[in-house]
Amino acid sequence: MAVMGAFAYEDDFLAAAEKLKSSGFDKISLLSPLPLEEAQEVLGLGKSPVRYFSLGGAIIGAISGFAMAFGTALVFILPTGGRAIMALPPFFVITYEMTILMGVLFTLLGFHFISGLPAWHDKPYLSSASIDRFVVVVEDAAAEQVARAEAILRDAGAEEIRHVEEDQ
Amino acid sequence: MFDHGQPSYAEVNKDILSTMLETGPRYWMLLGTTMSVAGICFFMPWVYQLFVGVGAAGMNHNAVWGTYISNFIFWIGLSHSGTLLSAVLHLTKSQWRKSIYRSAEAMTLFSLMTAALFVMVHVGRVWFVHWTFPIPNQMGLWPNFRSPLMFDVMAITTYLTASSIFIYMGSVPDFAAVRDASTGLRRRLYTIFSFGWRGTAREWHTLGWAYTFFAVFVVPLAVSVHSIVSWDFALSVVPGLHHTIFAPYFVCGAIYSGTAGIVTVMYCLRKFLHFERYIGQVHLDNLGKLLITLSLIWSYINILELFSGWFGGTSFELEAMRFKLTGFYAPLYWEMILFCAFVPLLMLFKKIRLSWNKMLVISILINIGMLTERFIIVATSLPRKFLPNAFGFYFPSWIEISITVGSFAIFATLFLIFIKWVPAVSIYEVKETLKPLRRNT
Repeated sequence: MAVMGAFAYEDDFLAAAEKLKSSGFDKISLLSPLPLEEAQEVLGLGKSPVRYFSLGGAIIGAISGFAMAFGTALVFILPTGGRAIMALPPFFVITYEMTILMGVLFTLLGFHFISGLPAWHDKPYLSSASIDRFVVVVEDAAAEQVARAEAILRDAGAEEIRHVEEDQ
Repeated sequence: MFDHGQPSYAEVNKDILSTMLETGPRYWMLLGTTMSVAGICFFMPWVYQLFVGVGAAGMNHNAVWGTYISNFIFWIGLSHSGTLLSAVLHLTKSQWRKSIYRSAEAMTLFSLMTAALFVMVHVGRVWFVHWTFPIPNQMGLWPNFRSPLMFDVMAITTYLTASSIFIYMGSVPDFAAVRDASTGLRRRLYTIFSFGWRGTAREWHTLGWAYTFFAVFVVPLAVSVHSIVSWDFALSVVPGLHHTIFAPYFVCGAIYSGTAGIVTVMYCLRKFLHFERYIGQVHLDNLGKLLITLSLIWSYINILELFSGWFGGTSFELEAMRFKLTGFYAPLYWEMILFCAFVPLLMLFKKIRLSWNKMLVISILINIGMLTERFIIVATSLPRKFLPNAFGFYFPSWIEISITVGSFAIFATLFLIFIKWVPAVSIYEVKETLKPLRRNT
């Protein structure tokens, strides 16, 4: 069972989230129509691991880009006007582009992996959260916790409270 | 930032989504016109050229590059300020970026697509264009990575991929807003487009980090793309092209024409989608100041290019310079100087900078100048290499002129389709610029 509380004001919403956290509700989601740093702080979200994906992708791209250019020159020997077969300046350009390409693709992969998206199956959600409402969702609440969560949300100023059966 | 009072969050959703969800006859007429012009002026002459060969274009033995290549550079250049400007302004946390960046990024994407089309038109046998990619095949064909043209393939492919991801990821929360505001098939489609986005703190957090990394990757990428395009020319030993200044010259010119393009697009969005509330004087003022700065840098580099040619003193370089300044295409050169170096100085006056109509005219003149610049680079160099007995001449044929006109219609068509599929102004980022919804402020 999930309990959702919709708030009209950010500060009420953040206060409710903090109260729930301090009351031992660990599995909460904070839905908002715009990014709120304070909400991320309440959940203790620090530096995102997406940066490791970016770095890893960039390194893989650099190695593969250089290897592709170097390997090509090695396999297809193409002497042109006495110029170097293993010409580092042009290889650097290919390496540079591949570094960025793979960095971007791995960052995208990291985003999906960490955020858990795509998530097309039904999850507790209020469509007003994409307009002007701030929604606290207490997920996987046991039957005895529901009333307590609801009371906290109501005390914090929730305009609307809903109970939703969750998919397993 | 808001010329007509600050809207509420719900009004932001309503104003922006209504441009997508409500479509009048004027839109369909405009789309029909641009599609027809694209078909008649671009695709039909291209099909004709495919049948009779590239000889249908004005290119010849000396002038193996013509209008197609100059248009390719123009469109690549126009793509430069969207993603680049958006990324730079994101990294510097500029608030005024938030209303305009989505359309600017779309401009990047569609300019790149149009530019890629010109490569296909130019190469003649377009069905072999995949040979430029490192794809294993039974013929043992493999690209030569020492060639500047291969740099181009790598750079543009990367830029197109990165720009597409950059605009898509920035739009995901807005796709969720479209999903929530629609029903039926549209709702199902946007559920897929939005990846099931709910706007949780974790999703925002991850998107914020990923988006910043995209921006960090995109800035050096954009600079590299036009530098590499410039090396298509500068790495040759042709007089008039073999200049070390070409990379910064091209990058500066690209950002310059792209920024002017943004002004034109913003004018149209304001006028036809009624975004007066979100795109205001502050945007125009800042874009105007940016244009003045870029025009001064561009003028300086032009003077430097002439100076280094003169200072070098080789007869080939001096002849290339003489032809450019006083030859057949001299009127075009001086038109470029007028439109790109002198006309933008009018923006030093705040009254002009804050007038949408005057800025529209200036931005169009700048881009006419920049289109001319690219034409001059191609048309005054390759046909006049070194010895006079090998001199040739290039003049575009009606097919090339028609395809050039058609390319603008393709760009307009893509943009018109875009505004019905993606919110042209970022909903959530506009909300970030509003007063926070707090009980205790």
